[in-house]
Amino acid sequence: MKTIIYTCPYVPAEWIAAHGLRPSRIMPGAAGSTSSVGRTEGVCPYVRRFVNEVIMNTQASGVVVTTVCDQMRRAFDIIMRRCELPAFLMNVPSTWQSVAAHKLYLDELRRLGEFLVRLGGKSPSSRALAKVMLEYDTARTSVLATRGYLTSSQYSELIAEFNRDGKSGITTTINEKKPFTGGIPLAIIGGPLLREDFGIFDVVENSGGRIVLDAAETGERGMCAHFDRRRLRDEPLIELSNAYFGSIPDAFRRPNNQLYNWLKRELACREVRGIIFWRYIWCDIWHAELHRLKQWANLPVLDVDVSGDEQALTVRTTQRIHAFLEVLQ
Amino acid sequence: MNNAPGQITLEEWDERYEQLRRAGLREPGYGGPLGRHVGDGDRRLLKLRYDNSVASLRLWNFLLTEEDRLHNARAEGKRIVGTMKDLGTVPVMAYSLDNVVAFYPDGAWWIPCVMELSAGLLETADSLGIDESFCPVRAMLGAFVTGAHFPIPDQLVCSVGATCDDFSAIAQRLNGLGYPILWWEIPHRRFPEVDEAAVRLPGGFCAPKRQVEFVKSELERVRTALERLAGQRLDDKKLSAGIQKANEVRRYLAELRQVTFTAKVCPLPALEMLIAEMLAIHFCSDRDETISVLKELIDEVKTRVQAGRGVLGDDTARIFWVNPVADLQVMNLLEDCGGRICGTEYLFSHALDTIPEELPPAEALARMALADPMVGSSVDRAERICADIRRFGSEAVLISRIPGASHCALEGEVIGEVVRSRLEVPVLEIEVPPVTDSIRPTLGTRLEALIETVKERRKK
Repeated sequence: MKTIIYTCPYVPAEWIAAHGLRPSRIMPGAAGSTSSVGRTEGVCPYVRRFVNEVIMNTQASGVVVTTVCDQMRRAFDIIMRRCELPAFLMNVPSTWQSVAAHKLYLDELRRLGEFLVRLGGKSPSSRALAKVMLEYDTARTSVLATRGYLTSSQYSELIAEFNRDGKSGITTTINEKKPFTGGIPLAIIGGPLLREDFGIFDVVENSGGRIVLDAAETGERGMCAHFDRRRLRDEPLIELSNAYFGSIPDAFRRPNNQLYNWLKRELACREVRGIIFWRYIWCDIWHAELHRLKQWANLPVLDVDVSGDEQALTVRTTQRIHAFLEVLQ
Repeated sequence: MNNAPGQITLEEWDERYEQLRRAGLREPGYGGPLGRHVGDGDRRLLKLRYDNSVASLRLWNFLLTEEDRLHNARAEGKRIVGTMKDLGTVPVMAYSLDNVVAFYPDGAWWIPCVMELSAGLLETADSLGIDESFCPVRAMLGAFVTGAHFPIPDQLVCSVGATCDDFSAIAQRLNGLGYPILWWEIPHRRFPEVDEAAVRLPGGFCAPKRQVEFVKSELERVRTALERLAGQRLDDKKLSAGIQKANEVRRYLAELRQVTFTAKVCPLPALEMLIAEMLAIHFCSDRDETISVLKELIDEVKTRVQAGRGVLGDDTARIFWVNPVADLQVMNLLEDCGGRICGTEYLFSHALDTIPEELPPAEALARMALADPMVGSSVDRAERICADIRRFGSEAVLISRIPGASHCALEGEVIGEVVRSRLEVPVLEIEVPPVTDSIRPTLGTRLEALIETVKERRKK
């Protein structure tokens, strides 16, 4: 089965799968010794690594890039010039409160569908789409149900696995398990994690804390809403659009109060006592939220700025997390 | 009095001003010696070199008195719109109403340069979490908070979507500080799909018809907000009249650019040309006066060209400049190094193209908004640059990076590749912070290297 890679949470896996292709939301890893992007100064490390990952990928049949950030939008130009892989740039509107913005997103899904058909996919019937959506929804629900029963690292890796491989391979059961307790409850908020960054969960746990809210783009925050069963049956594509475009909160949206509403609810219900703010240097979208979040949250916030040059978490970051938790004891 | 075209210092301008005044100089109400603006804290003016024509004196005075005009407009009961990011679209709509004035708070990005960092705007932005990793446009945030550089607008309108992250993030920060913003979406301009209805945009780009329709619907939301603010209808007739006036400005600018960039001897310095081009985006808060200022500049330039006289030597390297500079003095530096400007893409070429007058006005504006070089791919932008290089006979391209700006991280590589492959002209990138004093020797060395390359290529 042909694989379509992407990294943005606003690309619905269900839509790709319904076309008979394999969606894979990738997490870029180490850049290797050479970079496909000429400059490094000013370039978001995540974007740089994504471009490298796409260019070096030999398994994928296509790549979907979105416009949620300017550097990713421009990275599309680099991908188009540096590799042969068929690429699609999907407009994801920044505004979200107007009917026109939702319609634009829906139109873009349809256009994505045409791209997928050109790659060998088959345009799905509503019924076929609904079936795939239901399967994904069930799998997603089972992933989310493991929260609290797995270590925070295992839980976030499970989400990443679900994003990468879709519904397959999710066999975790929680019947026999006791929920994890203990540790100072923390949230991680920010952009996406790189593959090597999962170590942060263990660093937190080894320092006496526990990530109870993974609000990184690659975590729970980047998962779409539960599908409404009636709308799924009646108008699956519109329901898909609502669950993704209408529900995933993010800093890039204008205005972005949806993100703060979501955080308010989740931080409170999980009794979070501190926030690790995860951002890449040169990521303006998240960087600009740091100060506001500090003022808004009424919780201690640890700013972790990631250069992406390291193979894994730096000693400096580890020590800062350790100190942060010591303060919170 | 020496009336030969040339460049002079501020001190020399004030002496010249006195001579002109004694000789019967007639000026508009905002006229006066340029040196007086230093008293407002504009210390960079002391270090610039200016064109010595009366037309340029008027241009500078017009630019440096905009804040007064905005305050006067408010005192007269006019409503003030702060248009952000779109660089040229919403002001055409706003100035179609007789009781609305629009300006770009984005323009505050030059305050740190003009006031040589003395205004504290960047420090204010720092204190709000917007540090030097962001584009210098962060000065806008400081200007809002201090309220010292322009009247706080009655309405803020900001385009988002296919825009730079810096500005979008800073505008959101502003919004979070309690300044309501009407956001409108400008999607990434894409190529039409096979069999998809397409339209030709001003400037030559192409876009799907449905993207034009989407932008049109967004601009209709802006129109409704402006009507509410003005307390009057902005019907198609008024909007069409506004477009015609905007086109008058654009035609004069097109003529000014054509005559200046193609002249054998450079008739008007880079700095004055940069400011003249900037007038296109919001008319420096007075549309009719913009037209008068441009007319006088064109007359001066034509007179100089006909006389074969100019402000620089006749062997200067003809440079195409990409992106505006945060430090105005760098335009002088280029000339010091032996270059002249013959072609520009200062991020707002769409504000220089005439708006189609034969179309319904909202659609015409939507097409113009989508023609923004920054909302499409860098390849598109590079193609447009190539077309202008051919038109103006530029011999090299200088890409001026804006520190921290999201678009500058990756676009230079693409533009450079396209230009080199299409035209085989040398391309150089530099980065220009708001005050370049400490890196002036380095910048100068890089500019000289480019200019020497151009001159060597002439020998082949």
